[in-house]
Amino acid sequence: MIQLERVKKVFPNTAVPAVDELSFTVEQGNVCVFVGPSGCGKTTIIRMINRLVEPTSGSIFIDGENILQVDSDRLRRRIGYVIQQVGLLPHRTIEQNVGLVPRLLNWPEDRIARRVAELLEMVGLDPAEAAQKYPYQLSGGQMQRAGVARALAADPPIMLMDEPFGAVDPILRGRLQDEFLRLQREVQKTICFVTHDINEALKMGDYIVVLNAGKLVQKGTPMELLSSPANDFVKALIGDDRGVKLLDLTRAESLVADGSIKSPAVKDCSCFIDALQPVKMALEQMMKHDTDSVGIRRGDEVIGALTWAEIKKHIHRISGDEG
Amino acid sequence: MNFGLDRFIEAMLYRSPPYILEHVQLVLIPLGIAAAIAFPAGVLLTRPRFRRYTGRVMSVFNAGQTIPPLAVIALFFPFLGLGYRPALIALTLYALLPIARNTLAGLAGVPFEVKEAARGMGMTGWQVLTQVEVPLSLPVVISGLKTSAVLTAGTAALAALVGGKGMGAVIFAGINFFRVELILAGTLYIGIMALCLDRLLSFFESRITPSHMK
Repeated sequence: MIQLERVKKVFPNTAVPAVDELSFTVEQGNVCVFVGPSGCGKTTIIRMINRLVEPTSGSIFIDGENILQVDSDRLRRRIGYVIQQVGLLPHRTIEQNVGLVPRLLNWPEDRIARRVAELLEMVGLDPAEAAQKYPYQLSGGQMQRAGVARALAADPPIMLMDEPFGAVDPILRGRLQDEFLRLQREVQKTICFVTHDINEALKMGDYIVVLNAGKLVQKGTPMELLSSPANDFVKALIGDDRGVKLLDLTRAESLVADGSIKSPAVKDCSCFIDALQPVKMALEQMMKHDTDSVGIRRGDEVIGALTWAEIKKHIHRISGDEG
Repeated sequence: MNFGLDRFIEAMLYRSPPYILEHVQLVLIPLGIAAAIAFPAGVLLTRPRFRRYTGRVMSVFNAGQTIPPLAVIALFFPFLGLGYRPALIALTLYALLPIARNTLAGLAGVPFEVKEAARGMGMTGWQVLTQVEVPLSLPVVISGLKTSAVLTAGTAALAALVGGKGMGAVIFAGINFFRVELILAGTLYIGIMALCLDRLLSFFESRITPSHMK
């Protein structure tokens, strides 16, 4: 668990604080995404959590321990850190890069070797092929994977990720995000994730902290953010397609739970989607098959149908002002 | 002046070789001292605490290079007199700048994100310096050393003017006695020495350069 209490950072020779009296808590095992425009202080926040930047005032606690009273180098070895530019040591092999923190912690060599192989496997790199390569011999995506493996090496309970997928192309980014979410289900870390991409935030976050000019604007689940944005800034950040984004986060099953199985629509269905897929997929099917209703299947069983009218009603209900 | 092949061969084989060792010393000792001063200075000047002194210290090193070695010897004459030691000092001052400048450039060239990640992983400041910054900047430092070595090999000939020995003695004897073969032989040896030093350091440089920087 990470707690920030009235944390403030004013950089020398600047009038405006980069981070202004910020307080929040990130619960154990959650992914908390910090999102906001450039210069909103999101990177400064996570750099204060591993003390690459010292706060001007306020306190930061990790599992109840005030980190400002811990030796900063030791602290960092307990916190995984991934940055956009990856920052692998160019003169060291991938094996040495990934084994960096365990070596700093004086693990025995055979344990490091086993851990590195395990991690490379976990992030989708072939240990036999990648371990002895140098970073320049890897592709951008492979480097980013090696960076994540390095951060996970000593199994830190906390991970700080600063736009980890910002430098790769959109297709690869989507794949890395999916892999990351799968990995997170496995490792259950407490993660602070920085991005300026609201779509990434909505996809990755258990919680989202929206920041502007060093101040917290809104904190909530992706659903809360979409259904009740705190102000125009959050609305603008989310964009004009709030309703569609909502439907992307809503599982089809949640709209048929109230027994629409009996609705006559189900007989007319010419296409089906899985209950776990987002409602957005239902819209896609409607467009593709030029129909107003889509059947919802769980496994082989048809559990109901979604109609265009119901989806519209749902959007109205949840966001009030959505025309 | 006259020039005969047999006299040239004699100069090459008998007159010059006794001075080779002296001249090598005149190059290696100042080079060693200069490296021992300029490299730590360069490292210190890139640390946050001392960064603001960079300009001033570099201007001292710059001065070392602008003042001709003979003038430096003249400057130190009241304290050290003539001879071997003043020559060493003058040559050392001369060799400082390229090494210091390349150390600064090399350390500045280490990518920020690499240092940032190394710190973020929990390396101490000393570990970042010795395991990341120095290894990554060493090729640039060594190329500075190479510049200094070649420069010193040539300049060291002037040491003979103040009784500082070295291959310069052969060259100046040739000038004084109108013996072209001596001038030629001395110059040739200095050229060979400069080349050898350059090759040697290049070899070392290529050995330690990480493969991605080649």
